[in-house]
Amino acid sequence: MIQFHAVSLAYQQDATALQNISCRVTKGEFVFLTGPSGAGKTTMLRLIYGALTPTRGQVLIDGQNISRYRRSQLPLLRRSIGVVFQDFKLLQNRTVFENVAITLEVLGWDRGDIGRRVMHILRQMGMESKIHLIPQRLSGGEQQRVALARALVNSPKILLADEPTGNLDDANKQQIMNIFKEANVKGTTVVVATHDRRLIEHAHYRTIRLLGGELAGHEGVGDAVIP
Amino acid sequence: MRSSRNVVKRPTMSHQGASGRLRYFFGRAMTNIRQNLFVNAVTVGTITLALLIVALFMLLVVNLENAAESWSERVQVTVYFDRDLASQEQADLQRRIQTLPGTAKVTWVSRDEAFRRFKMRLKGQDTLLEGVRPDILPTSFEIALKRNNRSSEAVEAYVSRLKTLPGIGEIQYGEEWVRRFNTFLTFMRLVGALVGGFLLVPVIFIVSNTIRLTIYARRDELEVMSLVGATRLFIKMPFLIEGLLQGVAGGLLSLLLLVLFYQLFLHNAGNFLTFNPASSGLAFLPVEFMVALVLAGALLGFLGSLTSLRRFMADN
Repeated sequence: MIQFHAVSLAYQQDATALQNISCRVTKGEFVFLTGPSGAGKTTMLRLIYGALTPTRGQVLIDGQNISRYRRSQLPLLRRSIGVVFQDFKLLQNRTVFENVAITLEVLGWDRGDIGRRVMHILRQMGMESKIHLIPQRLSGGEQQRVALARALVNSPKILLADEPTGNLDDANKQQIMNIFKEANVKGTTVVVATHDRRLIEHAHYRTIRLLGGELAGHEGVGDAVIP
Repeated sequence: MRSSRNVVKRPTMSHQGASGRLRYFFGRAMTNIRQNLFVNAVTVGTITLALLIVALFMLLVVNLENAAESWSERVQVTVYFDRDLASQEQADLQRRIQTLPGTAKVTWVSRDEAFRRFKMRLKGQDTLLEGVRPDILPTSFEIALKRNNRSSEAVEAYVSRLKTLPGIGEIQYGEEWVRRFNTFLTFMRLVGALVGGFLLVPVIFIVSNTIRLTIYARRDELEVMSLVGATRLFIKMPFLIEGLLQGVAGGLLSLLLLVLFYQLFLHNAGNFLTFNPASSGLAFLPVEFMVALVLAGALLGFLGSLTSLRRFMADN
């Protein structure tokens, strides 16, 4: 489903963010991307949802080389990918409900259907009583759950999460992980970038390790590296 | 990308079709305005003040043009005859002059009328004219010219056409006055265009920068929309409609303020002016200028949003 073929990326000529990365994530898999800060985890995620283009190599999603996508093709790609950010990226002037509904508005859903679907996902997240609040009134864990609801509301094929538990306490971390697992059980391919060793150890999923922009190895089942 | 997995069924789209989409974008723009009231108020206020400056200048130019227009009515051609005309000849000639391109009105001035006017000019010194009889003055036609034929070149061209008619003797049209008046008009319009141009540049600059700042404040929205798969048009449209509405609101408010200032001026000008502006032919902006002002506001808002969006969306 997701393939990196000898991908390198340099922000400037002398600042290489990724160096010759080759790896694969199969459909329906749950994978951790790990490594210290600056290892290239976020850069890899950004390459998957088309926010960056590799300097060399190819990024393929379902066999399609998205590095060659025109700007007008990116929206279609992104509609099948849910992204969760460490800083949540919630719209501060919109309510919880509106923040989640935005994904379906973009897809052109009918308003009634949007209402039903958004309520359904927020109920799953335990946020149905807070639909009228703006993000500033929520705790970090709640904001993360809203961000997750926004990413999952249209049942994307791929879910990407960048340090999703970075600022959360243990209880919230567990809750967020459960939501990831649930999505994965339903068939969503999940890629979580994190440097939280405890999270990785408890989850028992395959891990792709990065170090200084290079692939440093992989642990667990599956074929992470294509030689 | 194909998947056999059972994804959420995509229901019917509420804004399919051009009108449905436009309704959605318009609704979104209205919601955005409600949710960002302060930012919108700042933008509308800036557009209002900027357009008010332009509108005040337009009002000044319109009134100067009106004054020039009434002065230009003094551009007229007087035709004398090479001999006394029979009344049939005079009527024929008057008809021929009337059909000349550029003629607005032809008035016959009899000897008595000419003498009466002469006496009027010498008011207070009537005794000078004792013993002078009206028939010493010649008869003439006074020709008023159409508006577009009052420039010095047009008047000269008209006079040369006039000379070809039979029976025409001397022609007077105050060449020097016409020339000076036209130079004054050209100068006034040039200064108007220059000042207007100098006003317009900062107005466009201020408005576009205000809109840029307000869009910058909402760049998260642009980013999130882009991340959830919105097309560029989908992201831009509500902002463009918002810009358009802000511009129209700014245009209408500036007009309202202009009316208020104008009325205030009319009512209070007597206190500091030696003439009464209400009875001196002072005019408000014509309808087409008012429409142009509102349209200019709409254009400013729209283009300001468009250029700012281009800049910020390039990053996503």
